[in-house]
Amino acid sequence: MKRQRIMAIASGGGHWVQLMRLRPAWEGLDVFYVSLDPSSAVDVPGHRYYTIRDASRKQKWAFLLVAASLLRILLRERPAVVITTGSAPALVAIALARKLFGARTIWIDSIANAERLSTSGQKAGAVADIWLTQWPALTEGEGRRPEHWGAVL
Amino acid sequence: MIFVTVGSMFPFDRLIRVMDEWTARAAPGRVLAQIGHGSYVPSHMEHVRRLSQAEFNDTMARSELIVAHAGMGTVITAGRVGRPLVLLPRIEKWGEHTTDHQIATANWLRGKPGIFVADTDADLPGAIAAARAAGAQEATLPPFADAAFTGRLRAAILGFLDQNAEPRT
Repeated sequence: MKRQRIMAIASGGGHWVQLMRLRPAWEGLDVFYVSLDPSSAVDVPGHRYYTIRDASRKQKWAFLLVAASLLRILLRERPAVVITTGSAPALVAIALARKLFGARTIWIDSIANAERLSTSGQKAGAVADIWLTQWPALTEGEGRRPEHWGAVL
Repeated sequence: MIFVTVGSMFPFDRLIRVMDEWTARAAPGRVLAQIGHGSYVPSHMEHVRRLSQAEFNDTMARSELIVAHAGMGTVITAGRVGRPLVLLPRIEKWGEHTTDHQIATANWLRGKPGIFVADTDADLPGAIAAARAAGAQEATLPPFADAAFTGRLRAAILGFLDQNAEPRT
């Protein structure tokens, strides 16, 4: 047996709170967490918790630094599965984890995106093995669409 | 105490300014605002730039009422502690967010127990009055998502881990 580790990653605020509501999905498994706010470590006592800086896709240099931090974390932890509730930095995480390390990836678009997928969520379709929206109506439309398995609320 | 929060990402000066003016008029007792990186500094409410996660959760639990942007972190945390919540959605064209998804969030949450939506600044006093009249909610949100959803995710994760295990020889 090898590489049985799970990386659960989300941006701060609502993305993190939604990730926390999904914890039964990996309870008891070998999991570590990545988010933005150092103080969120209190939510996951007993687990390794890494922070990255926030950056939007438009801030090119900041975004590269975030990608470098994520690469360091991935090299150290070598997760087999990456699961996320967004946003942009998490899209980079699943892309790197899948393309460089062969990890399997799960994207759950935030429940805040009730009428259309987030921009990152739209792009996640290309790098997520499981690509989910929390809104049934968003599974319909032109081209490849995400699946709906449920919602955090 | 009334707790006003703009969440952890972007400033929301409009909410802070309107609540500051309302506090001066209504004298509702202690009001604490988490204003983030906002440039409007309130003069009638107490304020902090940012609370840690633990302080934020604790402040929510100790509040009589929460007035906030329509962000899911605030909505879910308020539901967990059963406090009435007034929401003012951020508007994209005023530079308050990158999209208008908070309007959609406010629309689907409208009328849910403990949630009072103010579509405009002028709606805030009425929404606050309704929220105060409703008081604390008896039914609080359970800590985790529906078991059918987390169970399906767990099965998928375990499936991935199985495929990744080295074959026994």
